[in-house]
Amino acid sequence: MSVITKPADVRVGDRRTPQSKQRRRRRAGRRVVTGLFNLLGIALSVVWIFPIYWMLNTSFKSANEYQTFTPHFWPHSPTVGNYTTAVHVLNFYDDLGNSLILTVSAVVISLLVGFFGALAVARFRFSGRRVFIFLVMIVQMLPLAVMIVPMYRVLASLNQIDTLYGVIVIYIGLVLPYTVWTLRGFIVNVPRELDEAALVDGCTQFQVFFRIILRLIGPGLVATSLYGFIQIWNEWLIISTINHDNTKQNLMVWLTNQSSLRGTAWGPLMASAVITSVPVVVLFLIIRRHIATGLTAGAVKG
Amino acid sequence: MSATGLDVSATGSEPAGVQAEGVRDAPRIRHRRDRLVPYWLSLPTAVILFGVFGYPLGYMIYLSFHNLTAADLYQHLSPAWAGFAQYKSVLTDSTFWIATERTVIFTILTVIASVVIALLIAVLMNRVSPWVKGLVGVVLIFVWSVPQIVSIQLFSWLTDPDFSVINWLLSKLPWVNLDKHDWFRDPHQGLAVAATVVIWGAVPFLAITLHAGMTMVPKELIEAARVDGANRWRQFRAVTLPILKPLLVIVTTLSIVWDIQVFNQIWLLRHGQPEPTYQTLSIYTFTTAINDTRYSAASAIGILTVLLMLGVMIFYIRQIFRIGDND
Repeated sequence: MSVITKPADVRVGDRRTPQSKQRRRRRAGRRVVTGLFNLLGIALSVVWIFPIYWMLNTSFKSANEYQTFTPHFWPHSPTVGNYTTAVHVLNFYDDLGNSLILTVSAVVISLLVGFFGALAVARFRFSGRRVFIFLVMIVQMLPLAVMIVPMYRVLASLNQIDTLYGVIVIYIGLVLPYTVWTLRGFIVNVPRELDEAALVDGCTQFQVFFRIILRLIGPGLVATSLYGFIQIWNEWLIISTINHDNTKQNLMVWLTNQSSLRGTAWGPLMASAVITSVPVVVLFLIIRRHIATGLTAGAVKG
Repeated sequence: MSATGLDVSATGSEPAGVQAEGVRDAPRIRHRRDRLVPYWLSLPTAVILFGVFGYPLGYMIYLSFHNLTAADLYQHLSPAWAGFAQYKSVLTDSTFWIATERTVIFTILTVIASVVIALLIAVLMNRVSPWVKGLVGVVLIFVWSVPQIVSIQLFSWLTDPDFSVINWLLSKLPWVNLDKHDWFRDPHQGLAVAATVVIWGAVPFLAITLHAGMTMVPKELIEAARVDGANRWRQFRAVTLPILKPLLVIVTTLSIVWDIQVFNQIWLLRHGQPEPTYQTLSIYTFTTAINDTRYSAASAIGILTVLLMLGVMIFYIRQIFRIGDND
């Protein structure tokens, strides 16, 4: 404030006053500080990315190169041999197919069911609404390694061991809470006036849901389904416990089956790890903005 | 199908009296019909969640008060009533208490470490040059996207006793010699590796979320604090932190809920055969049921685990409700 009220010539002469020297020194100091922070940021990035770099590095090395006592920090004679070995590991195509069937069916069904659930929460005030939200929220926090015990017994009594159906049903339940909650956020952002205008124009309630709201939350549906896809694609505990047949597993179980207590072939294993990660990494890069904003928007506003 | 109150506009040609009645009647009819709509909409979700979680949870409670033996399973007999016997035997078993203690300590350490590191990274991202910020952001997204199972296999390779690159790098430090070091011989070190996998995977989500939260802090407030003579630390303590607090509380409780049920990391790092010294509550429940087929004892342990988590879960949901009520 006071600077502005000073006459202009004082400011021009500023550069030669002792104060300006101090300011310049401070600015230089700030540059040093930023430099130090930059170094810290780079160091953290290097530490955090190192495992991924090492996975890629190992996956392109032959056995006599990854089994060296002095590690090679890049493959001296790079090879894709591990990748060809990986896709020939038993049941790769079976389990790849299973992963796709499981993810697509669980995501599609939970999207449809979750859309209705989200409509109920976002568009209506009804008694039992809070209880409904409470139950949806709490089930997704139940410890799965504990819940698998009764789930296993229930599925066993229904003869659903070593099939994909039982697993699909559990997977729908697994992604449904997130689906309901996220879609709710998108639906809330569709102005109610649009609903009312459509009702006035003679739309039925269900036409409003499908023709107005569903169309307007298109991007939300994509983001939600991709996140569900990632969650199911990465699931390991449930399917590996319920199914014992190696042709009824997903790619994560296929991956873990390749390591053993003694004598794991790390090159092919790292290549397999890259193969199973690629779809997820790609989807992640597509929806990363949605994930970050979707999770935080409400929390900071509130 | 379209007998909602708003159709009244189409009845304009009817006699005035009828129309007036229609107008008065219509909202009530609409109301009565609409009252059921949210229930129909939430029914499929409720049915599926009941089938997948509710019924098994109820069955687990039932099992914990009975004694289901392997013989019962083969002969399709209903298990004998056991009262609180399962709980009594679990609670007097020191294995349970040791596993509980291990779980709680593991959770506290991993949650504190991951939240503190994430907060530091979030703050750091505001202080570095734009290109470094971009670099950190890209690294975090890539690490976040790595499937958990992949990351476990990866750390298994990184800590391989024969060809571990981590051992080799750490041995470069003076006074450190980790040649042929087996990280899993000492359970404390082994659990530290498991904790590292958890923290490595959790930090990206936490850091990105907290950083996004920080960008929502109004710049004018920080500016005002700076003008008032607050240094960087004071600005952070007195302005940023209080605004960030609700978000910090949510991600911390979420981390507690996730880390307390740690299973995959320990289980797979030990190749599906964790030694008793690696047992957390999840692993103890799982092995008691699936390996020992003591389903009733496992159910009692499982119920006790859920009870241990319940307080944190309810606290989390109360935070969520605050958001839900705002819109």
